[in-house]
Amino acid sequence: MSDESLAGLAEAIRGRRLSPVEAVERCLGRIRKWDSRLHAFIRLDEEGALETARSLEADAAAGRWRGPLHGVPLGFKDLCHLHGLPTTCGTRMPEYFVSVQECTAARRLLDAGAIGLGKLNMTELAMGAFGDNGHHGDVDNPWRAGHASGGSSSGSAAGVAAGFFAGAVGSDTGGSIRLPAGCCGVVGLKPTYGRVSRAGAMPLSWSMDHLGPLAWTARDAALMLQVMAGRDPADATASRRAVPDYAAVIEGGIAGVRIGVAMNYFFEGVEEQTAAGVRQAARQLERLGARVSEIGVPDPRDIIDVAMLITRAEASALHARVFRERPQDLQPVARARLQVGFSISAYDYLQALRLRAKLTRVFVREVFAEVDVLLTPVIPGPPPVLAALKAAPVDEFNARGGRFSRLTRPFNGLGLPALSVPCGFTDLGLPLGFQVVGRPFDEALLLRLGHSYQEAAGWHLRRPPLE
Amino acid sequence: MTQPGQQRVELAEMAGIIERLAGELALGEEPARFVAVLEGEEDTPRDE
Repeated sequence: MSDESLAGLAEAIRGRRLSPVEAVERCLGRIRKWDSRLHAFIRLDEEGALETARSLEADAAAGRWRGPLHGVPLGFKDLCHLHGLPTTCGTRMPEYFVSVQECTAARRLLDAGAIGLGKLNMTELAMGAFGDNGHHGDVDNPWRAGHASGGSSSGSAAGVAAGFFAGAVGSDTGGSIRLPAGCCGVVGLKPTYGRVSRAGAMPLSWSMDHLGPLAWTARDAALMLQVMAGRDPADATASRRAVPDYAAVIEGGIAGVRIGVAMNYFFEGVEEQTAAGVRQAARQLERLGARVSEIGVPDPRDIIDVAMLITRAEASALHARVFRERPQDLQPVARARLQVGFSISAYDYLQALRLRAKLTRVFVREVFAEVDVLLTPVIPGPPPVLAALKAAPVDEFNARGGRFSRLTRPFNGLGLPALSVPCGFTDLGLPLGFQVVGRPFDEALLLRLGHSYQEAAGWHLRRPPLE
Repeated sequence: MTQPGQQRVELAEMAGIIERLAGELALGEEPARFVAVLEGEEDTPRDE
Protein backbone atom coordinates (compact mmCIF):
# COMPACT_ATOMS: atom_id res chain seq x y z
CA MET A 1 0.00 0.00 0.00
CA SER A 2 1.54 3.31 -1.05
CA ASP A 3 1.76 5.96 1.66
CA GLU A 4 0.45 8.39 -0.97
CA SER A 5 -2.91 6.62 -0.86
CA LEU A 6 -5.53 7.58 1.69
CA ALA A 7 -5.32 4.16 3.34
CA GLY A 8 -1.52 4.37 3.37
CA LEU A 9 -1.54 7.86 4.86
CA ALA A 10 -4.05 6.89 7.53
CA GLU A 11 -1.92 3.87 8.44
CA ALA A 12 1.32 5.87 8.51
CA ILE A 13 -0.25 8.46 10.79
CA ARG A 14 -1.74 5.81 13.05
CA GLY A 15 1.67 4.12 13.20
CA ARG A 16 3.26 7.50 14.09
CA ARG A 17 5.55 7.30 11.07
CA LEU A 18 4.01 10.50 9.74
CA SER A 19 2.42 13.36 11.62
CA PRO A 20 -0.76 15.13 10.49
CA VAL A 21 1.26 18.34 10.12
CA GLU A 22 3.76 16.59 7.87
CA ALA A 23 0.91 15.14 5.82
CA VAL A 24 -0.61 18.60 5.35
CA GLU A 25 2.76 20.24 4.60
CA ARG A 26 3.44 17.62 1.96
CA CYS A 27 0.11 18.39 0.26
CA LEU A 28 0.61 22.15 0.56
CA GLY A 29 4.00 21.83 -1.09
CA ARG A 30 2.43 20.20 -4.14
CA ILE A 31 -0.44 22.69 -4.20
CA ARG A 32 1.95 25.66 -4.11
CA LYS A 33 3.95 24.16 -6.93
CA TRP A 34 1.20 23.00 -9.25
CA ASP A 35 -2.14 24.60 -8.54
CA SER A 36 -1.35 27.69 -10.58
CA ARG A 37 -1.58 25.30 -13.53
CA LEU A 38 -4.36 22.96 -12.40
CA HIS A 39 -6.76 25.44 -10.67
CA ALA A 40 -8.12 22.66 -8.44
CA PHE A 41 -8.92 25.03 -5.58
CA ILE A 42 -11.41 27.84 -5.31
CA ARG A 43 -10.49 28.45 -1.68
CA LEU A 44 -7.37 26.95 -0.10
CA ASP A 45 -7.67 27.01 3.70
CA GLU A 46 -3.99 26.70 4.51
CA GLU A 47 -4.20 28.24 7.95
CA GLY A 48 -7.26 26.27 9.02
CA ALA A 49 -5.74 23.02 7.79
CA LEU A 50 -2.49 23.55 9.64
CA GLU A 51 -4.31 24.52 12.82
CA THR A 52 -6.42 21.35 12.66
CA ALA A 53 -3.33 19.29 11.87
CA ARG A 54 -1.53 20.62 14.93
CA SER A 55 -4.52 19.80 17.10
CA LEU A 56 -4.72 16.28 15.63
CA GLU A 57 -0.99 15.87 16.17
CA ALA A 58 -1.41 16.72 19.85
CA ASP A 59 -4.27 14.26 20.06
CA ALA A 60 -2.16 11.54 18.45
CA ALA A 61 0.69 12.20 20.87
CA ALA A 62 -1.77 11.79 23.72
CA GLY A 63 -3.17 8.59 22.22
CA ARG A 64 -6.51 10.18 21.33
CA TRP A 65 -7.70 9.13 17.89
CA ARG A 66 -10.69 10.90 16.41
CA GLY A 67 -11.52 8.22 13.88
CA PRO A 68 -10.31 6.17 10.93
CA LEU A 69 -9.25 9.24 8.94
CA HIS A 70 -7.20 10.88 11.71
CA GLY A 71 -4.86 13.39 10.06
CA VAL A 72 -5.77 12.57 6.45
CA PRO A 73 -5.99 15.67 4.19
CA LEU A 74 -9.15 15.88 2.05
CA GLY A 75 -10.77 18.41 -0.27
CA PHE A 76 -14.43 19.31 -0.70
CA LYS A 77 -16.21 20.33 -3.87
CA ASP A 78 -17.27 23.94 -3.45
CA LEU A 79 -20.93 23.08 -3.19
CA CYS A 80 -20.45 21.46 0.22
CA HIS A 81 -21.33 24.00 2.85
CA LEU A 82 -18.97 24.16 5.82
CA HIS A 83 -19.27 26.89 8.45
CA GLY A 84 -16.61 29.58 8.12
CA LEU A 85 -15.89 29.06 4.43
CA PRO A 86 -17.79 30.61 1.52
CA THR A 87 -19.61 28.27 -0.88
CA THR A 88 -19.49 29.65 -4.41
CA CYS A 89 -20.80 26.56 -6.24
CA GLY A 90 -18.44 27.59 -9.01
CA THR A 91 -20.16 30.96 -9.49
CA ARG A 92 -18.57 34.37 -9.03
CA MET A 93 -20.73 34.92 -5.93
CA PRO A 94 -18.81 34.05 -2.74
CA GLU A 95 -21.93 33.16 -0.78
CA TYR A 96 -24.05 31.65 -3.54
CA PHE A 97 -25.13 28.79 -1.28
CA VAL A 98 -25.77 29.49 2.39
CA SER A 99 -27.09 26.78 4.65
CA VAL A 100 -27.79 26.46 8.37
CA GLN A 101 -26.84 22.83 7.98
CA GLU A 102 -23.24 21.89 7.20
CA CYS A 103 -22.74 19.29 4.48
CA THR A 104 -23.37 16.06 6.38
CA ALA A 105 -21.01 13.98 4.24
CA ALA A 106 -18.13 16.44 4.63
CA ARG A 107 -18.81 16.94 8.33
CA ARG A 108 -18.77 13.17 8.93
CA LEU A 109 -15.36 12.94 7.26
CA LEU A 110 -14.01 15.81 9.38
CA ASP A 111 -15.45 14.25 12.52
CA ALA A 112 -13.64 11.03 11.60
CA GLY A 113 -10.36 12.93 11.84
CA ALA A 114 -9.90 14.19 8.28
CA ILE A 115 -8.35 17.60 7.66
CA GLY A 116 -10.14 19.86 5.17
CA LEU A 117 -7.67 21.64 2.90
CA GLY A 118 -10.32 23.81 1.30
CA LYS A 119 -13.02 24.13 -1.29
CA LEU A 120 -12.53 22.74 -4.75
CA ASN A 121 -13.14 24.11 -8.21
CA MET A 122 -16.13 22.88 -10.18
CA THR A 123 -18.14 23.73 -13.25
CA GLU A 124 -20.53 26.59 -12.53
CA LEU A 125 -23.57 25.33 -10.58
CA ALA A 126 -22.34 21.77 -11.28
CA MET A 127 -23.65 22.05 -14.83
CA GLY A 128 -21.08 20.85 -17.31
CA ALA A 129 -19.04 17.82 -18.23
CA PHE A 130 -15.64 19.28 -19.09
CA GLY A 131 -14.28 21.14 -16.05
CA ASP A 132 -14.26 24.64 -17.52
CA ASN A 133 -14.88 27.63 -15.28
CA GLY A 134 -14.64 31.22 -16.48
CA HIS A 135 -14.69 32.65 -12.94
CA HIS A 136 -12.15 30.48 -11.14
CA GLY A 137 -10.08 29.14 -14.03
CA ASP A 138 -10.49 26.00 -16.09
CA VAL A 139 -9.30 22.91 -14.25
CA ASP A 140 -6.47 21.43 -16.29
CA ASN A 141 -5.89 17.74 -16.83
CA PRO A 142 -2.97 16.63 -14.64
CA TRP A 143 -1.85 14.04 -17.19
CA ARG A 144 -1.66 16.33 -20.21
CA ALA A 145 -1.91 20.11 -20.20
CA GLY A 146 -4.73 21.64 -22.19
CA HIS A 147 -7.01 18.61 -22.04
CA ALA A 148 -10.31 18.58 -20.16
CA SER A 149 -10.29 17.46 -16.55
CA GLY A 150 -13.94 16.44 -16.77
CA GLY A 151 -16.76 17.98 -14.79
CA SER A 152 -18.38 19.00 -12.79
CA SER A 153 -16.25 17.76 -9.83
CA SER A 154 -13.16 18.82 -11.75
CA GLY A 155 -11.06 20.15 -8.86
CA SER A 156 -11.87 17.05 -6.81
CA ALA A 157 -10.52 14.67 -9.46
CA ALA A 158 -7.55 16.75 -10.62
CA GLY A 159 -6.50 17.43 -7.04
CA VAL A 160 -6.57 13.75 -6.10
CA ALA A 161 -4.57 12.88 -9.22
CA ALA A 162 -2.00 15.58 -8.42
CA GLY A 163 -1.61 14.45 -4.80
CA PHE A 164 -3.02 17.72 -3.43
CA PHE A 165 -5.14 15.66 -1.01
CA ALA A 166 -5.77 11.97 -0.43
CA GLY A 167 -9.46 12.05 -1.30
CA ALA A 168 -12.26 14.42 -2.15
CA VAL A 169 -16.00 14.76 -2.01
CA GLY A 170 -17.76 15.28 -5.32
CA SER A 171 -21.34 15.38 -6.52
CA ASP A 172 -22.87 13.55 -9.46
CA THR A 173 -26.14 14.50 -11.19
CA GLY A 174 -25.34 13.14 -14.65
CA GLY A 175 -21.79 11.84 -14.26
CA SER A 176 -20.05 14.65 -12.36
CA ILE A 177 -18.00 12.31 -10.16
CA ARG A 178 -17.30 9.58 -12.72
CA LEU A 179 -16.48 11.82 -15.71
CA PRO A 180 -13.68 13.76 -13.98
CA ALA A 181 -12.49 10.55 -12.32
CA GLY A 182 -12.27 9.00 -15.78
CA CYS A 183 -10.51 12.03 -17.27
CA CYS A 184 -8.02 12.36 -14.41
CA GLY A 185 -7.26 8.67 -13.86
CA VAL A 186 -8.66 8.29 -10.35
CA VAL A 187 -11.46 6.26 -8.77
CA GLY A 188 -14.89 7.88 -8.44
CA LEU A 189 -18.00 6.41 -6.87
CA LYS A 190 -21.55 7.53 -7.41
CA PRO A 191 -23.38 5.60 -4.71
CA THR A 192 -26.98 4.41 -4.86
CA TYR A 193 -29.54 7.22 -4.67
CA GLY A 194 -30.07 7.75 -0.93
CA ARG A 195 -26.89 5.98 0.25
CA VAL A 196 -25.15 9.28 1.12
CA SER A 197 -27.02 12.27 2.54
CA ARG A 198 -27.09 15.37 0.35
CA ALA A 199 -27.95 17.68 3.24
CA GLY A 200 -25.85 20.84 3.28
CA ALA A 201 -24.79 20.48 -0.36
CA MET A 202 -26.09 22.75 -3.11
CA PRO A 203 -28.86 20.93 -4.95
CA LEU A 204 -28.93 20.87 -8.72
CA SER A 205 -31.69 18.28 -9.07
CA TRP A 206 -33.09 16.68 -5.95
CA SER A 207 -34.11 13.60 -7.91
CA MET A 208 -30.71 13.03 -9.53
CA ASP A 209 -28.09 14.42 -7.13
CA HIS A 210 -25.65 12.08 -5.41
CA LEU A 211 -22.60 12.82 -3.26
CA GLY A 212 -19.66 10.44 -3.32
CA PRO A 213 -15.91 10.01 -2.91
CA LEU A 214 -13.03 10.41 -5.35
CA ALA A 215 -9.69 8.85 -4.45
CA TRP A 216 -6.69 7.01 -5.90
CA THR A 217 -7.96 3.55 -5.11
CA ALA A 218 -11.17 1.65 -4.56
CA ARG A 219 -9.93 0.88 -1.05
CA ASP A 220 -9.61 4.61 -0.36
CA ALA A 221 -13.09 5.25 -1.74
CA ALA A 222 -14.41 2.47 0.52
CA LEU A 223 -12.85 4.12 3.58
CA MET A 224 -14.49 7.41 2.68
CA LEU A 225 -17.88 5.91 1.85
CA GLN A 226 -17.86 4.06 5.17
CA VAL A 227 -17.84 7.40 6.94
CA MET A 228 -20.06 9.36 4.55
CA ALA A 229 -22.93 6.86 4.17
CA GLY A 230 -25.96 6.28 6.34
CA ARG A 231 -29.21 7.80 7.43
CA ASP A 232 -29.46 11.46 8.17
CA PRO A 233 -32.45 13.20 9.73
CA ALA A 234 -31.48 16.32 7.73
CA ASP A 235 -32.09 14.55 4.40
CA ALA A 236 -35.43 12.79 3.98
CA THR A 237 -34.11 10.88 0.97
CA ALA A 238 -31.19 9.33 2.87
CA SER A 239 -31.79 5.59 3.24
CA ARG A 240 -32.24 4.03 6.66
CA ARG A 241 -30.41 0.90 5.57
CA ALA A 242 -27.45 -0.17 7.69
CA VAL A 243 -24.05 0.66 6.18
CA PRO A 244 -22.00 -2.47 5.47
CA ASP A 245 -18.37 -2.77 6.56
CA TYR A 246 -16.88 -2.04 3.13
CA ALA A 247 -13.26 -2.44 4.23
CA ALA A 248 -13.99 -5.89 5.66
CA VAL A 249 -15.20 -7.28 2.32
CA ILE A 250 -12.87 -5.49 -0.06
CA GLU A 251 -10.27 -8.25 -0.03
CA GLY A 252 -12.79 -10.99 -0.83
CA GLY A 253 -11.82 -11.39 -4.48
CA ILE A 254 -14.21 -11.70 -7.39
CA ALA A 255 -14.23 -15.42 -8.16
CA GLY A 256 -17.61 -16.35 -9.61
CA VAL A 257 -18.88 -12.77 -9.89
CA ARG A 258 -21.03 -12.48 -13.04
CA ILE A 259 -19.98 -9.49 -15.10
CA GLY A 260 -22.06 -8.42 -18.07
CA VAL A 261 -20.35 -6.32 -20.72
CA ALA A 262 -23.19 -4.13 -21.98
CA MET A 263 -22.87 -4.45 -25.74
CA ASN A 264 -25.83 -2.43 -26.98
CA TYR A 265 -25.49 1.36 -26.78
CA PHE A 266 -22.49 1.51 -24.42
CA PHE A 267 -19.88 0.75 -27.08
CA GLU A 268 -21.61 2.51 -29.96
CA GLY A 269 -19.44 5.35 -31.25
CA VAL A 270 -16.89 4.85 -28.48
CA GLU A 271 -13.32 5.73 -29.48
CA GLU A 272 -11.16 2.73 -30.32
CA GLN A 273 -8.52 2.92 -27.55
CA THR A 274 -11.24 3.53 -24.97
CA ALA A 275 -13.24 0.49 -26.04
CA ALA A 276 -10.07 -1.64 -26.23
CA GLY A 277 -9.09 -0.57 -22.71
CA VAL A 278 -12.44 -1.69 -21.31
CA ARG A 279 -12.29 -5.01 -23.16
CA GLN A 280 -8.79 -5.59 -21.85
CA ALA A 281 -10.02 -4.84 -18.33
CA ALA A 282 -12.80 -7.39 -18.85
CA ARG A 283 -10.18 -10.02 -19.74
CA GLN A 284 -8.19 -9.10 -16.63
CA LEU A 285 -11.31 -9.49 -14.49
CA GLU A 286 -11.93 -12.87 -16.09
CA ARG A 287 -8.41 -13.97 -15.17
CA LEU A 288 -9.27 -13.01 -11.58
CA GLY A 289 -12.10 -15.54 -11.61
CA ALA A 290 -15.08 -13.47 -12.71
CA ARG A 291 -17.53 -14.91 -15.25
CA VAL A 292 -17.65 -12.36 -18.04
CA SER A 293 -20.36 -12.41 -20.70
CA GLU A 294 -21.67 -10.01 -23.29
CA ILE A 295 -25.25 -8.93 -22.66
CA GLY A 296 -27.92 -6.60 -23.98
CA VAL A 297 -29.60 -4.12 -21.64
CA PRO A 298 -32.87 -2.17 -21.92
CA ASP A 299 -32.19 0.79 -24.22
CA PRO A 300 -30.61 3.47 -21.97
CA ARG A 301 -31.74 6.30 -24.27
CA ASP A 302 -35.17 6.29 -22.64
CA ILE A 303 -33.85 6.80 -19.12
CA ILE A 304 -31.38 9.42 -20.40
CA ASP A 305 -34.21 11.47 -21.91
CA VAL A 306 -36.28 11.09 -18.78
CA ALA A 307 -33.37 12.00 -16.49
CA MET A 308 -32.42 14.98 -18.61
CA LEU A 309 -35.94 16.39 -18.51
CA ILE A 310 -36.24 15.94 -14.75
CA THR A 311 -32.83 17.52 -14.15
CA ARG A 312 -33.57 20.52 -16.32
CA ALA A 313 -36.93 21.22 -14.72
CA GLU A 314 -35.59 20.87 -11.17
CA ALA A 315 -32.40 22.87 -11.85
CA SER A 316 -34.43 25.77 -13.22
CA ALA A 317 -36.80 25.69 -10.27
CA LEU A 318 -33.89 25.65 -7.82
CA HIS A 319 -31.77 28.30 -9.48
CA ALA A 320 -34.51 30.55 -10.88
CA ARG A 321 -33.59 33.43 -8.62
CA VAL A 322 -30.06 33.93 -9.86
CA PHE A 323 -31.20 33.41 -13.44
CA ARG A 324 -33.85 36.09 -13.14
CA GLU A 325 -32.14 38.58 -10.84
CA ARG A 326 -28.46 38.31 -11.77
CA PRO A 327 -28.24 36.58 -15.14
CA GLN A 328 -25.15 38.63 -16.02
CA ASP A 329 -23.29 36.87 -13.20
CA LEU A 330 -23.74 33.46 -14.82
CA GLN A 331 -21.69 32.15 -17.72
CA PRO A 332 -23.60 31.75 -21.02
CA VAL A 333 -23.36 27.94 -20.79
CA ALA A 334 -25.13 27.85 -17.41
CA ARG A 335 -27.72 30.42 -18.50
CA ALA A 336 -28.55 28.42 -21.62
CA ARG A 337 -29.02 25.23 -19.64
CA LEU A 338 -31.27 26.88 -17.07
CA GLN A 339 -33.36 28.66 -19.67
CA VAL A 340 -34.75 25.47 -21.19
CA GLY A 341 -36.08 24.17 -17.88
CA PHE A 342 -38.49 27.08 -17.43
CA SER A 343 -40.55 25.92 -20.37
CA ILE A 344 -40.99 22.28 -19.35
CA SER A 345 -44.63 21.54 -18.59
CA ALA A 346 -45.83 20.04 -15.32
CA TYR A 347 -47.37 17.24 -17.38
CA ASP A 348 -44.03 16.26 -18.93
CA TYR A 349 -42.17 16.54 -15.62
CA LEU A 350 -44.66 14.34 -13.78
CA GLN A 351 -44.79 11.75 -16.53
CA ALA A 352 -41.00 11.66 -16.49
CA LEU A 353 -40.99 10.95 -12.76
CA ARG A 354 -43.52 8.13 -13.25
CA LEU A 355 -41.50 6.75 -16.15
CA ARG A 356 -38.35 6.76 -14.06
CA ALA A 357 -39.96 4.36 -11.59
CA LYS A 358 -41.01 1.98 -14.34
CA LEU A 359 -37.73 2.11 -16.27
CA THR A 360 -35.76 1.45 -13.09
CA ARG A 361 -37.92 -1.53 -12.16
CA VAL A 362 -37.54 -3.05 -15.62
CA PHE A 363 -33.78 -2.43 -15.77
CA VAL A 364 -33.07 -3.92 -12.33
CA ARG A 365 -35.30 -6.92 -12.98
CA GLU A 366 -33.89 -7.75 -16.41
CA VAL A 367 -30.21 -6.97 -15.98
CA PHE A 368 -29.54 -8.24 -12.49
CA ALA A 369 -31.35 -11.52 -13.04
CA GLU A 370 -28.58 -12.26 -15.50
CA VAL A 371 -25.44 -10.68 -14.01
CA ASP A 372 -24.14 -9.22 -10.74
CA VAL A 373 -22.54 -6.14 -12.28
CA LEU A 374 -22.54 -4.33 -15.58
CA LEU A 375 -19.29 -3.22 -17.24
CA THR A 376 -19.17 -0.22 -19.60
CA PRO A 377 -16.76 2.52 -20.65
CA VAL A 378 -17.11 5.62 -18.46
CA ILE A 379 -16.31 8.30 -21.05
CA PRO A 380 -16.83 7.81 -24.79
CA GLY A 381 -13.29 8.91 -25.67
CA PRO A 382 -10.13 10.38 -24.17
CA PRO A 383 -10.38 13.80 -22.49
CA PRO A 384 -10.66 16.32 -25.36
CA VAL A 385 -8.64 19.50 -25.82
CA LEU A 386 -10.56 22.09 -23.83
CA ALA A 387 -9.74 25.15 -25.94
CA ALA A 388 -11.19 23.48 -29.03
CA LEU A 389 -14.39 22.66 -27.15
CA LYS A 390 -14.74 26.18 -25.82
CA ALA A 391 -14.42 27.63 -29.29
CA ALA A 392 -17.79 26.08 -30.18
CA PRO A 393 -21.07 28.03 -29.86
CA VAL A 394 -22.87 27.62 -26.52
CA ASP A 395 -25.51 25.23 -27.83
CA GLU A 396 -22.91 23.04 -29.48
CA PHE A 397 -20.77 23.08 -26.34
CA ASN A 398 -23.73 21.93 -24.23
CA ALA A 399 -24.67 19.30 -26.81
CA ARG A 400 -21.12 17.93 -26.68
CA GLY A 401 -21.38 17.83 -22.90
CA GLY A 402 -24.54 15.78 -23.25
CA ARG A 403 -22.76 13.32 -25.53
CA PHE A 404 -19.76 13.17 -23.19
CA SER A 405 -22.02 12.16 -20.28
CA ARG A 406 -24.15 9.69 -22.23
CA LEU A 407 -22.54 6.64 -20.58
CA THR A 408 -22.89 7.88 -17.01
CA ARG A 409 -26.26 9.67 -17.04
CA PRO A 410 -28.39 6.51 -17.32
CA PHE A 411 -27.31 5.49 -13.83
CA ASN A 412 -28.36 8.77 -12.27
CA GLY A 413 -31.77 8.20 -13.77
CA LEU A 414 -31.80 4.63 -12.51
CA GLY A 415 -30.27 5.56 -9.13
CA LEU A 416 -27.87 2.61 -9.31
CA PRO A 417 -24.37 2.62 -7.79
CA ALA A 418 -21.61 3.11 -10.35
CA LEU A 419 -17.84 3.11 -9.90
CA SER A 420 -15.32 4.59 -12.32
CA VAL A 421 -11.94 2.82 -12.32
CA PRO A 422 -8.82 3.77 -14.33
CA CYS A 423 -7.71 1.04 -16.76
CA GLY A 424 -4.69 2.30 -18.67
CA PHE A 425 -3.61 5.15 -20.91
CA THR A 426 -3.95 6.27 -24.50
CA ASP A 427 -0.99 6.76 -26.82
CA LEU A 428 -0.91 10.38 -25.66
CA GLY A 429 -0.73 9.35 -22.01
CA LEU A 430 -4.34 10.26 -21.18
CA PRO A 431 -6.24 8.02 -18.75
CA LEU A 432 -8.69 5.32 -19.82
CA GLY A 433 -11.42 4.11 -17.52
CA PHE A 434 -14.25 1.67 -17.09
CA GLN A 435 -17.49 1.90 -15.17
CA VAL A 436 -19.05 -0.90 -13.14
CA VAL A 437 -22.69 -0.67 -12.15
CA GLY A 438 -24.34 -2.77 -9.47
CA ARG A 439 -27.62 -3.63 -7.85
CA PRO A 440 -29.12 -0.99 -5.56
CA PHE A 441 -26.97 -0.58 -2.42
CA ASP A 442 -24.36 -3.08 -3.62
CA GLU A 443 -21.47 -0.63 -3.43
CA ALA A 444 -19.48 -3.30 -1.57
CA LEU A 445 -19.27 -5.53 -4.64
CA LEU A 446 -18.28 -2.64 -6.90
CA LEU A 447 -15.51 -1.59 -4.53
CA ARG A 448 -14.31 -5.19 -4.18
CA LEU A 449 -14.20 -5.56 -7.94
CA GLY A 450 -12.39 -2.23 -8.34
CA HIS A 451 -9.88 -3.20 -5.65
CA SER A 452 -9.21 -6.65 -7.15
CA TYR A 453 -8.68 -5.08 -10.56
CA GLN A 454 -6.36 -2.35 -9.29
CA GLU A 455 -4.24 -4.80 -7.30
CA ALA A 456 -3.82 -6.96 -10.41
CA ALA A 457 -3.43 -4.23 -13.04
CA GLY A 458 -1.40 -1.73 -11.01
CA TRP A 459 -2.39 1.35 -13.01
CA HIS A 460 -2.93 3.27 -9.79
CA LEU A 461 0.80 3.16 -9.09
CA ARG A 462 1.47 5.64 -11.90
CA ARG A 463 1.37 9.33 -11.11
CA PRO A 464 0.88 12.23 -13.54
CA PRO A 465 4.13 13.89 -14.66
CA LEU A 466 2.76 17.41 -13.89
CA GLU A 467 5.00 19.26 -16.29
CA MET B 1 -27.46 32.31 -25.01
CA THR B 2 -29.51 29.51 -26.52
CA GLN B 3 -31.34 30.47 -29.70
CA PRO B 4 -35.12 30.49 -29.15
CA GLY B 5 -35.61 28.30 -32.21
CA GLN B 6 -33.24 25.65 -30.93
CA GLN B 7 -34.92 25.78 -27.55
CA ARG B 8 -38.32 25.13 -29.09
CA VAL B 9 -36.93 22.16 -31.00
CA GLU B 10 -35.38 20.72 -27.84
CA LEU B 11 -38.59 21.16 -25.86
CA ALA B 12 -40.68 19.64 -28.60
CA GLU B 13 -38.32 16.66 -28.77
CA MET B 14 -38.50 16.13 -25.03
CA ALA B 15 -42.29 16.36 -25.05
CA GLY B 16 -42.48 13.90 -27.93
CA ILE B 17 -40.30 11.39 -26.12
CA ILE B 18 -42.37 11.63 -22.95
CA GLU B 19 -45.59 11.22 -24.92
CA ARG B 20 -44.26 8.11 -26.66
CA LEU B 21 -43.03 6.47 -23.44
CA ALA B 22 -45.88 7.49 -21.16
CA GLY B 23 -48.44 5.71 -23.31
CA GLU B 24 -47.50 2.41 -21.68
CA LEU B 25 -47.60 3.57 -18.07
CA ALA B 26 -49.92 1.74 -15.67
CA LEU B 27 -52.42 3.95 -13.86
CA GLY B 28 -50.90 2.94 -10.54
CA GLU B 29 -47.39 4.02 -11.52
CA GLU B 30 -46.18 6.85 -9.34
CA PRO B 31 -42.84 8.56 -8.62
CA ALA B 32 -42.45 7.04 -5.14
CA ARG B 33 -42.12 3.60 -6.67
CA PHE B 34 -38.63 4.57 -7.79
CA VAL B 35 -37.32 4.51 -4.22
CA ALA B 36 -39.33 1.35 -3.53
CA VAL B 37 -37.46 -0.38 -6.37
CA LEU B 38 -34.10 0.66 -4.95
CA GLU B 39 -35.07 -0.42 -1.46
CA GLY B 40 -36.33 -3.76 -2.77
CA GLU B 41 -39.85 -3.19 -1.50
CA GLU B 42 -43.17 -3.97 -3.23
CA ASP B 43 -42.77 -2.08 -6.44
CA THR B 44 -45.10 -3.17 -9.21
CA PRO B 45 -48.36 -1.30 -9.78
CA ARG B 46 -51.29 -3.71 -9.53
CA ASP B 47 -52.57 -2.73 -12.92
CA GLU B 48 -49.26 -3.20 -14.77
